[in-house]
Amino acid sequence: MDKSICQVYEDKIQSLEEEIKLLTEKYEDYQQESTFFSDEEILMSKKSFQREFWRRSQGCEYLSDLIAQLESLEMDLSFIMKFTGIQFTSHFKKTMEKTRNRTVQKHKLSGNCHSLSFQVEFQLLEIRNEENVSVVVSDLSVFMEPGGDSSVSKFVSCIEEHGNLLQFFRSLSSYAEWYEHRRCTFLHFK
Amino acid sequence: VFAHLEMLEARAREADMKEEEAKQQEEKLARLKARVQQLTRQRDELQAKVDLQQKGQLGKEGVTSDPAQPSTQAVLEWKIKRVKDMLQVFCLTGISGKLTEQGVCFCISTAYDGTYLDSYYLDLLTKPEVRILRHSIPTFIPLEQLAKKYLQTDIRRFLSVLSNHLNAYAARRYQADQLQEHFSDQIEGTLQTNSLCNLLVFNYYVSNKSKTFPFNVRLLYGDLCSSIPTEVTVSCT
Repeated sequence: MDKSICQVYEDKIQSLEEEIKLLTEKYEDYQQESTFFSDEEILMSKKSFQREFWRRSQGCEYLSDLIAQLESLEMDLSFIMKFTGIQFTSHFKKTMEKTRNRTVQKHKLSGNCHSLSFQVEFQLLEIRNEENVSVVVSDLSVFMEPGGDSSVSKFVSCIEEHGNLLQFFRSLSSYAEWYEHRRCTFLHFK
Repeated sequence: VFAHLEMLEARAREADMKEEEAKQQEEKLARLKARVQQLTRQRDELQAKVDLQQKGQLGKEGVTSDPAQPSTQAVLEWKIKRVKDMLQVFCLTGISGKLTEQGVCFCISTAYDGTYLDSYYLDLLTKPEVRILRHSIPTFIPLEQLAKKYLQTDIRRFLSVLSNHLNAYAARRYQADQLQEHFSDQIEGTLQTNSLCNLLVFNYYVSNKSKTFPFNVRLLYGDLCSSIPTEVTVSCT
């Protein structure tokens, strides 16, 4: 009889801890998504930290770790953009829904691949269960520049119909490369 | 008499133990109750903060100060998260990666239409020459062959062709799983497939009024980079 009361309390504690975790994530997501610091502000932050650092020598380990982490991540990003040829110029993300098992986000990406520019908007649904996480894209819309080519518009509508974001980027890479070759060749003969 | 005294002593000890146990239970309950109260307060505070956010009033720690000078820490943490998000987006494009001490670790994602499937890792060494250190590519994918052909001369091409193989395999497997899941009432037993999922054999029924017709289907996917069969054999058994 006492044991079952204990169990009730313990279950309540577990459910509260999960709620707190979820609420904390929601709060942090919103803060992240509704803030924006420009590259200059970030550079200024780094510089002001470095100035302070020379003045006092303790308590800054955390910040210098952050700077190191940021630099390493930026190197990774710059490498992958150079390697794939896909340069993202802007990324807008908004968390529309977040529960224990389900997250829905809206994404808007712009960028270019060689001399082609693109813009994609889509919704990302993430469902978590015990074994794995499933990620599904929906409401995909793609805009490409230059888009005059009819085969390109056919390609784009097929991609949009099937929500095939992965296929879009894979094809974009090779199409952009060949487009660039053709363009250079054409210019050469002009 | 002695035995009687012993019995009384034993009873007294038992009573003490029971009292001790009861006290411990009480203390435990009190602790749990206090914890529940503390967590409930924490949860309610967080909920209030999140509600304020939703109403459009940004205020850290409840103080609506003009965010004139955000701390260096906040700025850096924000930027780090942003870059991490961007790297996550690359996973959606099919090829993402990060630099390692000895080279690069690539991550190849697969998808069928809008559903993302498994990802595969390829850890490469770049000096003195390009070599595969570790990978999670299944054995039935011709990794060695592809590496021999492309790895030294054109890494991009190597990854692109490998990605084609992996995506086609993942798509075939996904289609087979979906077929099994959504048409299980019409299919007899389970689908038979090989590990590469390029050979699919199954039996199914078509019913018409009183008669049911059993069919056997054999799908062969001759092109390993495609998820469309090259040979279909349907026979009535």
